[in-house]
Amino acid sequence: MAVLAVAAVVLAGWAFPVLWALLTSFKSERDVLAYPPKLVFVPTLANYAEVLFGSSTLLPNLWSSFVVASLATLLTMLIAVPAAYALARLEFPAKRGTGFYILATQMLPPVGLIIPYYLVLQRLSALDTYSGLVAIYLTFSLPFAIWLMVSYFEDIPREMEEAALIDRAGRLRALWYVILPQAKGGMAVTTIFVFLNAWNEFLFAVVIGGNRVRTVTVAMFNFISVEQTLWAKLAAGAVLAMAPVVVLGLLAQRHIVKGLTVGALKGGGRR
Amino acid sequence: MSGSVNLEGIVKRHGAVTVLHGIDLSIAPGEFFALLGPSGSGKTTTLRILAGLEPHDGGRVMMDGVDVTQREAGERDVAMVFQSYALYPHMSVYENIAFPLRMIGTRESEIDASVREAAARVRIDQLLARRPGQLSGGQQQRCALARAIVRKPRLFLLDEPLSNLDAKLRVETRVELRKLQRSLGVTTVYVTHDQEEAMTMADRVAVFLEGRIAQVGTPHEIFERPASASVAAFIGNPPMNLLPGELRGGELLVAQTQLALARDCGSDGAVTVGLRPGALSLADRGIPGRVYLVEDLGETSIVDVLVDGQLVKVRTPQRPRLQEGEAVQLAFVESALHLFERDSGLRRSP
Repeated sequence: MAVLAVAAVVLAGWAFPVLWALLTSFKSERDVLAYPPKLVFVPTLANYAEVLFGSSTLLPNLWSSFVVASLATLLTMLIAVPAAYALARLEFPAKRGTGFYILATQMLPPVGLIIPYYLVLQRLSALDTYSGLVAIYLTFSLPFAIWLMVSYFEDIPREMEEAALIDRAGRLRALWYVILPQAKGGMAVTTIFVFLNAWNEFLFAVVIGGNRVRTVTVAMFNFISVEQTLWAKLAAGAVLAMAPVVVLGLLAQRHIVKGLTVGALKGGGRR
Repeated sequence: MSGSVNLEGIVKRHGAVTVLHGIDLSIAPGEFFALLGPSGSGKTTTLRILAGLEPHDGGRVMMDGVDVTQREAGERDVAMVFQSYALYPHMSVYENIAFPLRMIGTRESEIDASVREAAARVRIDQLLARRPGQLSGGQQQRCALARAIVRKPRLFLLDEPLSNLDAKLRVETRVELRKLQRSLGVTTVYVTHDQEEAMTMADRVAVFLEGRIAQVGTPHEIFERPASASVAAFIGNPPMNLLPGELRGGELLVAQTQLALARDCGSDGAVTVGLRPGALSLADRGIPGRVYLVEDLGETSIVDVLVDGQLVKVRTPQRPRLQEGEAVQLAFVESALHLFERDSGLRRSP
């Protein structure tokens, strides 16, 4: 009972901003500013109509976000999975050094890199392009994904691929037929985290993107200007931006929970 | 018949630690050969070197007279059953068994026939649709065996395949495994720390101690003529009693008792006297001692006797009526006596 009560309090704390945003998105701009805040009001879909089909529509921005996040995720996974497998299993020169380097890149505060990234992309005429933004996202999603995947691979008993190697699978087919199917949960979790990080990213998107490539997080920011802040529309935009994240989370919930607990069940060769 | 194996001077180091100090072995085609030793003695490492899973630092691995030292695991035509079975959890039993055949591009019709035949041999043909996770330990073990035999390799490598089974199943499977190996006639190298397994199943046994082969021979030879005091101390349940003794002018001095020896046991000097628990009996005269404990095993009993400050185990047919602390005398026939050099531990002939 006490546990449930604590859980309810924690959940309320977590859910409050989301619920408040949801509530706000159905208010008129006037009701938003009412003090004390109105809990009973006439709900309106005007904000959604505006951010979906009005002059400040977010649809192109949602599309941009989707393209950037998907591309970043796809490339990250394509590179991170084999890289993590190599770090987990193969012996190669400077393996420790490589592992540490990957970890070290995670330690830099991203803000510190904005100016160098900006200058590099400017030289390459890649500012405000999909490829430019995706490349920058890779710099932080790759090390993250590699480190996460390494731990999943290390959890799979070595005998699995040794058995496959003796059965003449060779390294690549052992990876494809034996190891990857067992790392599915981990790959799902990693994919989702990488996608969410890219989808929610704001800092680089606003500096390196901006006009042609304007992600939804950046576009939402436009509801805040010097003269006024359109809270209701901002809230409606936020709900729209959150929707795919929530859907993804619900769909993959089983995988995520399973994937996150994998590390706890050591040596579970027969999961 | 193919399937001969020769190891020549295999050396393996882990950093500064030498795990294998020059292993020489030669295994005949069709033989069931056990690598027996306590954990950490290097037997599993030797098996993994045979499989090509572990690089080594010196020596050669020969199979059918061909040097395969540089060949990858997949190019040696061996099959292995792992201690953990290493079944692929995401595949059905059928797919697990079919996997080695798929990897060499066998035709689908042939795969089906071979998988069913292999599964039938180990009696899991009714379980082909299951996942490994839905099998009992014994069934998983059979599935791993089926995956090994399906490809008809020239060499089976078994790494403690019975250690995860319960005692009853282990004894049953021992017999089946031996029958299976005989009917297939494939050379088999079997790693175990369980001497009973090695003694009951193997044609020949190599006893591994601290990274060296202490003795190679038939189970009978190893039991009857252990090459050293350390082998003697490892083999037998309970193992051989070892007591310090001294040879002087054809007489053996052990536990303050002087025994005249009929046979010639070599020059005078310090020796270790070895006597199997079954070779000793309680008698009216002999080595004096005091009863420490009687262990009743049902059919037989083990009497622990304190002799000269050392525990000596004696196997007796029935439970003897003895009190703890009672004085007893231990007798033995001379032919059951083993003598080892005190310093080197090596056996004194005969």
